[in-house]
Amino acid sequence: MVKVKDGDLDKLGLLFERYKRPLYGFFYGLNREPELSEDLVQNTFLRIMKYRHLFRGESAGRADGGDFRAWMFHIARNVNYDHHRKNKVKASEDLEHWQHRIGHDENLSSEIQQREEQTMLLQALDRLPADKREILLLSKFEEKKYSEIGIVLGCSEGAVKVKVFRALQELKVIYKQLERIN
Amino acid sequence: MEKKQIDELIEKYNEGLADPSEVQMLEHLIESGIVDLTQLRELQLLDKQFQSLATPTPSLRLDDQFYAALAREKRDSTTRRISFPSWSTLFPRLAVAAVLMVVGFSAGYFLQSPHQQAEVSQLTNEVSQLKEMIMLSLLEKESASQRLKAVSLTSDMTQASEKVTDALLVTLNQDENVNVRLAALEALTPYVKQSEVRARLIESIQVQDSPLVQVALAELMVAIQEKKSVDAFRQLLERESTPKEVKTKISESIKILI
Repeated sequence: MVKVKDGDLDKLGLLFERYKRPLYGFFYGLNREPELSEDLVQNTFLRIMKYRHLFRGESAGRADGGDFRAWMFHIARNVNYDHHRKNKVKASEDLEHWQHRIGHDENLSSEIQQREEQTMLLQALDRLPADKREILLLSKFEEKKYSEIGIVLGCSEGAVKVKVFRALQELKVIYKQLERIN
Repeated sequence: MEKKQIDELIEKYNEGLADPSEVQMLEHLIESGIVDLTQLRELQLLDKQFQSLATPTPSLRLDDQFYAALAREKRDSTTRRISFPSWSTLFPRLAVAAVLMVVGFSAGYFLQSPHQQAEVSQLTNEVSQLKEMIMLSLLEKESASQRLKAVSLTSDMTQASEKVTDALLVTLNQDENVNVRLAALEALTPYVKQSEVRARLIESIQVQDSPLVQVALAELMVAIQEKKSVDAFRQLLERESTPKEVKTKISESIKILI
Protein backbone atom coordinates (compact mmCIF):
# COMPACT_ATOMS: atom_id res chain seq x y z
CA MET A 1 0.00 0.00 0.00
CA VAL A 2 2.94 2.29 0.64
CA LYS A 3 3.85 1.94 -3.05
CA VAL A 4 0.25 2.72 -4.04
CA LYS A 5 0.45 5.81 -1.87
CA ASP A 6 3.63 6.82 -3.69
CA GLY A 7 1.84 6.62 -7.04
CA ASP A 8 2.34 3.01 -8.13
CA LEU A 9 -1.32 2.33 -8.89
CA ASP A 10 -0.57 -1.10 -10.40
CA LYS A 11 0.04 -2.35 -6.88
CA LEU A 12 -3.56 -1.53 -6.02
CA GLY A 13 -4.54 -4.33 -8.41
CA LEU A 14 -2.55 -6.75 -6.22
CA LEU A 15 -4.28 -5.51 -3.09
CA PHE A 16 -7.64 -5.86 -4.80
CA GLU A 17 -6.88 -9.44 -5.77
CA ARG A 18 -5.81 -10.22 -2.22
CA TYR A 19 -8.68 -8.62 -0.37
CA LYS A 20 -11.68 -8.63 -2.69
CA ARG A 21 -12.97 -11.93 -1.37
CA PRO A 22 -12.67 -11.21 2.36
CA LEU A 23 -14.26 -7.82 1.73
CA TYR A 24 -17.04 -9.36 -0.32
CA GLY A 25 -17.59 -11.96 2.39
CA PHE A 26 -17.79 -9.18 4.97
CA PHE A 27 -20.36 -7.19 3.00
CA TYR A 28 -22.27 -10.27 2.00
CA GLY A 29 -22.38 -11.43 5.61
CA LEU A 30 -23.85 -8.06 6.55
CA ASN A 31 -26.27 -7.54 3.68
CA ARG A 32 -26.96 -10.86 2.01
CA GLU A 33 -27.17 -9.23 -1.41
CA PRO A 34 -24.60 -10.31 -3.96
CA GLU A 35 -24.80 -7.31 -6.27
CA LEU A 36 -24.94 -4.78 -3.49
CA SER A 37 -21.95 -6.46 -1.83
CA GLU A 38 -19.98 -6.24 -5.04
CA ASP A 39 -20.87 -2.57 -5.35
CA LEU A 40 -19.76 -1.95 -1.79
CA VAL A 41 -16.43 -3.72 -2.43
CA GLN A 42 -16.02 -1.49 -5.48
CA ASN A 43 -16.87 1.63 -3.44
CA THR A 44 -14.39 0.62 -0.75
CA PHE A 45 -11.59 0.33 -3.30
CA LEU A 46 -12.61 3.59 -4.96
CA ARG A 47 -12.27 5.30 -1.59
CA ILE A 48 -8.89 3.62 -1.03
CA MET A 49 -7.84 4.93 -4.44
CA LYS A 50 -9.13 8.41 -3.73
CA TYR A 51 -7.73 8.71 -0.22
CA ARG A 52 -4.52 6.73 -0.75
CA HIS A 53 -2.46 9.75 0.28
CA LEU A 54 -4.05 9.57 3.74
CA PHE A 55 -2.76 6.06 4.45
CA ARG A 56 -0.24 6.41 7.25
CA GLY A 57 1.89 3.48 6.14
CA GLU A 58 2.84 0.21 7.70
CA SER A 59 4.15 0.66 11.22
CA ALA A 60 7.60 -0.61 12.08
CA GLY A 61 7.78 -4.34 12.49
CA ARG A 62 4.55 -4.95 10.56
CA ALA A 63 5.20 -6.08 7.06
CA ASP A 64 2.14 -8.33 6.93
CA GLY A 65 -0.17 -5.63 5.64
CA GLY A 66 -2.10 -5.61 8.91
CA ASP A 67 -2.25 -1.85 9.04
CA PHE A 68 -3.65 -1.75 5.55
CA ARG A 69 -6.24 -4.40 6.34
CA ALA A 70 -7.38 -2.49 9.42
CA TRP A 71 -7.56 0.71 7.37
CA MET A 72 -9.44 -1.10 4.61
CA PHE A 73 -12.03 -2.56 7.00
CA HIS A 74 -12.39 0.83 8.63
CA ILE A 75 -13.27 2.27 5.22
CA ALA A 76 -15.49 -0.74 4.47
CA ARG A 77 -17.55 -0.14 7.61
CA ASN A 78 -18.02 3.49 6.64
CA VAL A 79 -19.03 2.50 3.10
CA ASN A 80 -21.60 0.08 4.51
CA TYR A 81 -22.87 2.63 6.99
CA ASP A 82 -23.14 5.36 4.33
CA HIS A 83 -25.01 3.03 2.00
CA HIS A 84 -27.60 2.11 4.61
CA ARG A 85 -27.99 5.66 5.78
CA LYS A 86 -28.70 6.75 2.22
CA ASN A 87 -30.91 3.89 1.19
CA LYS A 88 -32.28 2.61 4.46
CA VAL A 89 -32.30 -0.81 2.94
CA LYS A 90 -33.00 -3.67 5.28
CA ALA A 91 -30.81 -6.66 5.05
CA SER A 92 -32.45 -9.33 2.98
CA GLU A 93 -33.33 -12.54 4.63
CA ASP A 94 -32.69 -14.49 1.50
CA LEU A 95 -30.38 -17.27 2.52
CA GLU A 96 -30.41 -18.96 -0.81
CA HIS A 97 -27.92 -16.51 -2.22
CA TRP A 98 -25.36 -17.36 0.40
CA GLN A 99 -25.99 -21.03 0.01
CA HIS A 100 -25.75 -20.66 -3.74
CA ARG A 101 -22.51 -18.74 -3.51
CA ILE A 102 -20.72 -20.98 -1.10
CA GLY A 103 -21.92 -23.92 -3.13
CA HIS A 104 -19.27 -23.05 -5.73
CA ASP A 105 -16.46 -23.67 -3.33
CA GLU A 106 -17.80 -26.65 -1.55
CA ASN A 107 -17.34 -30.23 -2.24
CA LEU A 108 -20.75 -31.29 -3.55
CA SER A 109 -20.42 -34.63 -1.87
CA SER A 110 -20.19 -33.10 1.60
CA GLU A 111 -22.47 -34.56 4.17
CA ILE A 112 -26.05 -33.41 4.31
CA GLN A 113 -25.77 -32.93 8.05
CA GLN A 114 -22.90 -30.53 7.69
CA ARG A 115 -24.96 -28.62 5.15
CA GLU A 116 -27.85 -28.42 7.55
CA GLU A 117 -25.62 -27.21 10.33
CA GLN A 118 -24.19 -24.54 8.13
CA THR A 119 -27.64 -23.45 7.01
CA MET A 120 -28.72 -23.19 10.60
CA LEU A 121 -25.63 -21.26 11.53
CA LEU A 122 -26.29 -18.82 8.71
CA GLN A 123 -29.89 -18.46 9.85
CA ALA A 124 -28.66 -17.79 13.36
CA LEU A 125 -26.19 -15.23 12.03
CA ASP A 126 -28.96 -13.42 10.20
CA ARG A 127 -30.98 -13.17 13.39
CA LEU A 128 -28.07 -11.68 15.25
CA PRO A 129 -28.15 -7.89 15.75
CA ALA A 130 -26.13 -6.03 13.09
CA ASP A 131 -23.33 -4.91 15.45
CA LYS A 132 -22.77 -8.47 16.73
CA ARG A 133 -22.85 -9.89 13.21
CA GLU A 134 -20.32 -7.27 12.20
CA ILE A 135 -17.87 -8.11 14.99
CA LEU A 136 -18.01 -11.81 14.09
CA LEU A 137 -17.44 -11.07 10.42
CA LEU A 138 -14.53 -8.82 11.27
CA SER A 139 -12.98 -11.51 13.45
CA LYS A 140 -13.36 -13.96 10.57
CA PHE A 141 -11.97 -11.73 7.84
CA GLU A 142 -9.33 -10.10 9.96
CA GLU A 143 -8.21 -13.57 10.99
CA LYS A 144 -8.87 -13.01 14.68
CA LYS A 145 -6.38 -10.16 14.94
CA TYR A 146 -8.23 -8.52 17.80
CA SER A 147 -5.82 -5.61 18.11
CA GLU A 148 -6.41 -4.88 14.42
CA ILE A 149 -10.18 -5.03 14.92
CA GLY A 150 -9.68 -2.67 17.84
CA ILE A 151 -8.17 -0.15 15.40
CA VAL A 152 -11.14 -0.56 13.05
CA LEU A 153 -13.70 -0.10 15.80
CA GLY A 154 -11.74 2.39 17.84
CA CYS A 155 -11.62 0.36 21.05
CA SER A 156 -9.15 -1.75 23.02
CA GLU A 157 -8.18 -5.32 22.23
CA GLY A 158 -9.82 -6.48 25.47
CA ALA A 159 -13.06 -4.70 24.54
CA VAL A 160 -13.02 -6.45 21.15
CA LYS A 161 -12.63 -9.82 22.86
CA VAL A 162 -15.62 -9.10 25.08
CA LYS A 163 -17.67 -8.05 22.05
CA VAL A 164 -16.74 -11.27 20.26
CA PHE A 165 -17.59 -13.25 23.40
CA ARG A 166 -21.02 -11.63 23.66
CA ALA A 167 -21.71 -12.10 19.95
CA LEU A 168 -20.75 -15.77 20.06
CA GLN A 169 -22.83 -16.24 23.16
CA GLU A 170 -25.89 -14.78 21.52
CA LEU A 171 -25.22 -16.74 18.34
CA LYS A 172 -25.11 -19.89 20.40
CA VAL A 173 -28.47 -19.08 22.01
CA ILE A 174 -30.13 -18.46 18.62
CA TYR A 175 -28.50 -21.55 17.17
CA LYS A 176 -29.84 -23.71 19.99
CA GLN A 177 -33.31 -22.28 19.46
CA LEU A 178 -33.17 -23.14 15.75
CA GLU A 179 -31.93 -26.61 16.59
CA ARG A 180 -34.95 -27.16 18.77
CA ILE A 181 -37.34 -25.91 16.05
CA ASN A 182 -35.81 -28.14 13.43
CA MET B 1 -8.88 -14.29 41.75
CA GLU B 2 -6.84 -17.45 42.00
CA LYS B 3 -6.18 -19.75 39.10
CA LYS B 4 -8.24 -22.51 40.61
CA GLN B 5 -11.27 -20.27 40.95
CA ILE B 6 -10.84 -19.10 37.36
CA ASP B 7 -10.65 -22.69 36.11
CA GLU B 8 -13.80 -23.51 38.07
CA LEU B 9 -15.57 -20.52 36.57
CA ILE B 10 -14.55 -21.55 33.05
CA GLU B 11 -15.69 -25.12 33.70
CA LYS B 12 -19.00 -23.87 35.02
CA TYR B 13 -19.48 -21.72 31.94
CA ASN B 14 -18.61 -24.58 29.61
CA GLU B 15 -21.21 -26.74 31.33
CA GLY B 16 -23.78 -23.96 30.79
CA LEU B 17 -24.22 -23.47 34.51
CA ALA B 18 -22.83 -19.95 34.94
CA ASP B 19 -25.24 -17.33 36.22
CA PRO B 20 -25.33 -13.75 34.84
CA SER B 21 -23.00 -12.38 37.51
CA GLU B 22 -20.49 -15.13 36.76
CA VAL B 23 -20.74 -14.39 33.04
CA GLN B 24 -20.06 -10.77 33.83
CA MET B 25 -17.01 -11.79 35.82
CA LEU B 26 -15.88 -13.93 32.94
CA GLU B 27 -16.22 -10.94 30.61
CA HIS B 28 -14.00 -8.95 32.92
CA LEU B 29 -11.39 -11.73 32.88
CA ILE B 30 -11.55 -11.90 29.08
CA GLU B 31 -11.14 -8.15 28.76
CA SER B 32 -8.11 -8.10 31.02
CA GLY B 33 -6.58 -10.99 29.06
CA ILE B 34 -6.60 -13.50 31.92
CA VAL B 35 -9.05 -15.82 30.19
CA ASP B 36 -8.68 -16.57 26.50
CA LEU B 37 -11.67 -17.12 24.25
CA THR B 38 -10.17 -20.45 23.19
CA GLN B 39 -10.70 -21.75 26.73
CA LEU B 40 -14.48 -21.52 26.31
CA ARG B 41 -15.05 -24.89 24.72
CA GLU B 42 -18.56 -24.67 23.37
CA LEU B 43 -18.15 -21.16 22.06
CA GLN B 44 -14.97 -22.26 20.38
CA LEU B 45 -16.78 -25.06 18.57
CA LEU B 46 -19.35 -22.63 17.32
CA ASP B 47 -16.66 -20.12 16.36
CA LYS B 48 -14.72 -22.79 14.54
CA GLN B 49 -17.86 -23.72 12.62
CA PHE B 50 -18.46 -20.08 11.80
CA GLN B 51 -14.85 -19.51 10.76
CA SER B 52 -14.98 -22.53 8.49
CA LEU B 53 -17.96 -21.20 6.53
CA ALA B 54 -16.72 -20.84 2.99
CA THR B 55 -16.26 -17.28 1.87
CA PRO B 56 -18.52 -16.47 -1.05
CA THR B 57 -16.88 -15.42 -4.29
CA PRO B 58 -17.79 -12.19 -6.05
CA SER B 59 -18.65 -12.33 -9.75
CA LEU B 60 -16.41 -11.13 -12.58
CA ARG B 61 -18.52 -7.97 -12.76
CA LEU B 62 -16.61 -6.70 -9.73
CA ASP B 63 -13.26 -7.29 -11.45
CA ASP B 64 -14.44 -5.50 -14.57
CA GLN B 65 -15.69 -2.51 -12.63
CA PHE B 66 -12.59 -2.26 -10.48
CA TYR B 67 -10.04 -2.52 -13.28
CA ALA B 68 -11.97 0.01 -15.39
CA ALA B 69 -11.89 2.43 -12.45
CA LEU B 70 -8.20 1.74 -11.88
CA ALA B 71 -7.38 2.44 -15.54
CA ARG B 72 -9.34 5.72 -15.34
CA GLU B 73 -7.48 6.76 -12.21
CA LYS B 74 -4.11 5.90 -13.75
CA ARG B 75 -4.92 7.95 -16.85
CA ASP B 76 -6.10 10.89 -14.74
CA SER B 77 -3.08 10.83 -12.47
CA THR B 78 -0.74 10.75 -15.51
CA THR B 79 -2.54 13.77 -16.97
CA ARG B 80 -2.22 15.53 -13.65
CA ARG B 81 1.48 14.78 -13.55
CA ILE B 82 2.27 16.22 -17.00
CA SER B 83 0.01 19.23 -16.66
CA PHE B 84 1.45 22.70 -16.08
CA PRO B 85 2.34 23.14 -12.41
CA SER B 86 -0.25 25.11 -10.51
CA TRP B 87 0.37 28.75 -9.69
CA SER B 88 0.53 27.91 -5.99
CA THR B 89 3.54 25.63 -6.58
CA LEU B 90 5.11 27.78 -9.26
CA PHE B 91 4.92 31.09 -7.42
CA PRO B 92 7.24 30.22 -4.50
CA ARG B 93 9.83 28.86 -6.94
CA LEU B 94 9.68 31.97 -9.11
CA ALA B 95 9.94 34.15 -6.02
CA VAL B 96 13.01 32.26 -4.80
CA ALA B 97 14.59 32.51 -8.27
CA ALA B 98 13.95 36.25 -8.44
CA VAL B 99 15.32 36.84 -4.95
CA LEU B 100 18.44 34.83 -5.74
CA MET B 101 18.98 36.82 -8.92
CA VAL B 102 18.65 40.16 -7.13
CA VAL B 103 20.97 38.97 -4.35
CA GLY B 104 23.50 37.79 -6.94
CA PHE B 105 23.51 41.07 -8.83
CA SER B 106 23.70 43.16 -5.68
CA ALA B 107 26.50 41.03 -4.29
CA GLY B 108 28.41 41.44 -7.55
CA TYR B 109 27.83 45.18 -7.55
CA PHE B 110 28.76 45.80 -3.93
CA LEU B 111 31.69 43.43 -3.86
CA GLN B 112 33.32 45.27 -6.72
CA SER B 113 36.13 47.13 -4.93
CA PRO B 114 37.10 50.76 -5.76
CA HIS B 115 40.57 49.45 -6.44
CA GLN B 116 39.20 47.33 -9.31
CA GLN B 117 37.32 50.28 -10.76
CA ALA B 118 40.51 52.35 -10.69
CA GLU B 119 42.36 49.56 -12.45
CA VAL B 120 39.74 49.41 -15.20
CA SER B 121 39.84 53.16 -15.85
CA GLN B 122 43.61 53.11 -15.83
CA LEU B 123 43.61 50.35 -18.44
CA THR B 124 41.11 52.28 -20.59
CA ASN B 125 43.35 55.31 -20.44
CA GLU B 126 46.37 53.28 -21.40
CA VAL B 127 44.57 51.78 -24.38
CA SER B 128 43.46 55.17 -25.71
CA GLN B 129 46.97 56.56 -25.23
CA LEU B 130 48.30 53.61 -27.17
CA LYS B 131 45.80 54.24 -29.96
CA GLU B 132 46.81 57.88 -30.12
CA MET B 133 50.44 56.92 -30.31
CA ILE B 134 49.79 54.48 -33.14
CA MET B 135 47.71 57.07 -34.96
CA LEU B 136 50.36 59.77 -34.67
CA SER B 137 53.12 57.45 -35.81
CA LEU B 138 51.01 56.22 -38.76
CA LEU B 139 50.34 59.81 -39.87
CA GLU B 140 54.07 60.24 -40.40
CA LYS B 141 54.26 57.29 -42.78
CA GLU B 142 55.02 57.85 -46.42
CA SER B 143 52.25 55.62 -47.64
CA ALA B 144 48.98 57.45 -48.16
CA SER B 145 47.00 54.33 -47.24
CA GLN B 146 48.82 54.16 -43.89
CA ARG B 147 47.97 57.77 -43.22
CA LEU B 148 44.32 57.05 -44.16
CA LYS B 149 44.32 54.23 -41.67
CA ALA B 150 45.70 56.63 -39.05
CA VAL B 151 42.90 59.08 -39.71
CA SER B 152 40.25 56.34 -39.54
CA LEU B 153 41.63 55.21 -36.16
CA THR B 154 40.18 58.35 -34.58
CA SER B 155 36.66 57.07 -35.20
CA ASP B 156 37.31 54.37 -32.56
CA MET B 157 38.20 57.00 -29.98
CA THR B 158 35.34 58.11 -27.76
CA GLN B 159 37.01 61.40 -26.97
CA ALA B 160 40.08 62.46 -28.88
CA SER B 161 42.70 64.53 -27.10
CA GLU B 162 43.85 67.91 -28.21
CA LYS B 163 46.96 66.29 -29.56
CA VAL B 164 44.83 64.16 -31.90
CA THR B 165 42.68 67.03 -33.21
CA ASP B 166 45.84 69.04 -33.68
CA ALA B 167 47.41 66.23 -35.70
CA LEU B 168 44.25 65.93 -37.80
CA LEU B 169 44.21 69.69 -38.52
CA VAL B 170 47.88 69.57 -39.55
CA THR B 171 47.07 66.63 -41.83
CA LEU B 172 44.12 68.57 -43.29
CA ASN B 173 46.36 71.52 -44.10
CA GLN B 174 49.58 69.82 -45.05
CA ASP B 175 49.04 66.30 -46.36
CA GLU B 176 49.95 65.95 -49.97
CA ASN B 177 47.19 63.41 -50.66
CA VAL B 178 43.67 64.82 -51.23
CA ASN B 179 41.98 61.67 -49.99
CA VAL B 180 43.88 61.81 -46.73
CA ARG B 181 42.95 65.47 -46.33
CA LEU B 182 39.27 64.69 -47.00
CA ALA B 183 39.41 61.83 -44.50
CA ALA B 184 40.99 64.17 -41.94
CA LEU B 185 38.20 66.72 -42.50
CA GLU B 186 35.60 63.97 -42.00
CA ALA B 187 37.39 62.79 -38.86
CA LEU B 188 37.32 66.33 -37.47
CA THR B 189 33.54 66.72 -37.95
CA PRO B 190 32.65 65.29 -34.46
CA TYR B 191 34.87 67.96 -32.86
CA VAL B 192 33.43 71.05 -34.58
CA LYS B 193 31.78 72.07 -31.33
CA GLN B 194 35.22 72.95 -30.00
CA SER B 195 35.79 76.63 -30.83
CA GLU B 196 39.51 76.01 -31.32
CA VAL B 197 38.77 73.39 -33.98
CA ARG B 198 36.22 75.65 -35.69
CA ALA B 199 38.64 78.53 -35.84
CA ARG B 200 41.36 76.41 -37.33
CA LEU B 201 38.94 74.93 -39.87
CA ILE B 202 38.13 78.48 -41.03
CA GLU B 203 41.84 79.20 -41.31
CA SER B 204 42.19 76.04 -43.34
CA ILE B 205 39.84 77.40 -46.06
CA GLN B 206 42.57 79.77 -47.19
CA VAL B 207 45.21 77.05 -47.15
CA GLN B 208 43.37 74.54 -49.30
CA ASP B 209 44.15 74.36 -52.99
CA SER B 210 42.19 71.18 -53.79
CA PRO B 211 38.68 71.94 -55.16
CA LEU B 212 37.32 68.78 -53.45
CA VAL B 213 38.52 69.87 -50.04
CA GLN B 214 37.34 73.43 -50.63
CA VAL B 215 33.82 72.22 -51.53
CA ALA B 216 33.80 69.81 -48.55
CA LEU B 217 34.80 72.64 -46.24
CA ALA B 218 32.08 74.87 -47.70
CA GLU B 219 29.46 72.16 -47.08
CA LEU B 220 30.71 71.66 -43.53
CA MET B 221 30.55 75.37 -42.74
CA VAL B 222 26.98 75.52 -44.03
CA ALA B 223 26.08 72.46 -41.96
CA ILE B 224 27.44 74.01 -38.76
CA GLN B 225 26.21 77.47 -39.73
CA GLU B 226 29.62 79.06 -39.15
CA LYS B 227 29.17 82.68 -40.27
CA LYS B 228 32.74 83.58 -39.42
CA SER B 229 33.83 81.51 -42.38
CA VAL B 230 32.20 83.94 -44.90
CA ASP B 231 35.22 86.21 -45.08
CA ALA B 232 37.54 83.33 -45.78
CA PHE B 233 35.25 82.12 -48.56
CA ARG B 234 35.03 85.60 -50.12
CA GLN B 235 38.82 85.69 -50.27
CA LEU B 236 38.72 82.34 -51.99
CA LEU B 237 36.22 83.69 -54.51
CA GLU B 238 38.54 86.54 -55.34
CA ARG B 239 41.43 84.20 -55.98
CA GLU B 240 41.93 83.49 -59.63
CA SER B 241 43.18 79.99 -59.21
CA THR B 242 39.90 78.90 -57.68
CA PRO B 243 37.96 76.77 -60.21
CA LYS B 244 34.67 78.09 -61.51
CA GLU B 245 32.59 75.21 -60.10
CA VAL B 246 34.09 75.79 -56.68
CA LYS B 247 33.29 79.49 -56.90
CA THR B 248 29.64 78.69 -57.72
CA LYS B 249 29.43 76.33 -54.75
CA ILE B 250 31.09 78.85 -52.43
CA SER B 251 28.74 81.58 -53.59
CA GLU B 252 25.74 79.40 -52.75
CA SER B 253 27.21 78.64 -49.37
CA ILE B 254 27.84 82.29 -48.62
CA LYS B 255 24.23 83.08 -49.51
CA ILE B 256 23.00 80.40 -47.09
CA LEU B 257 25.32 81.53 -44.35
CA ILE B 258 24.36 85.19 -44.68
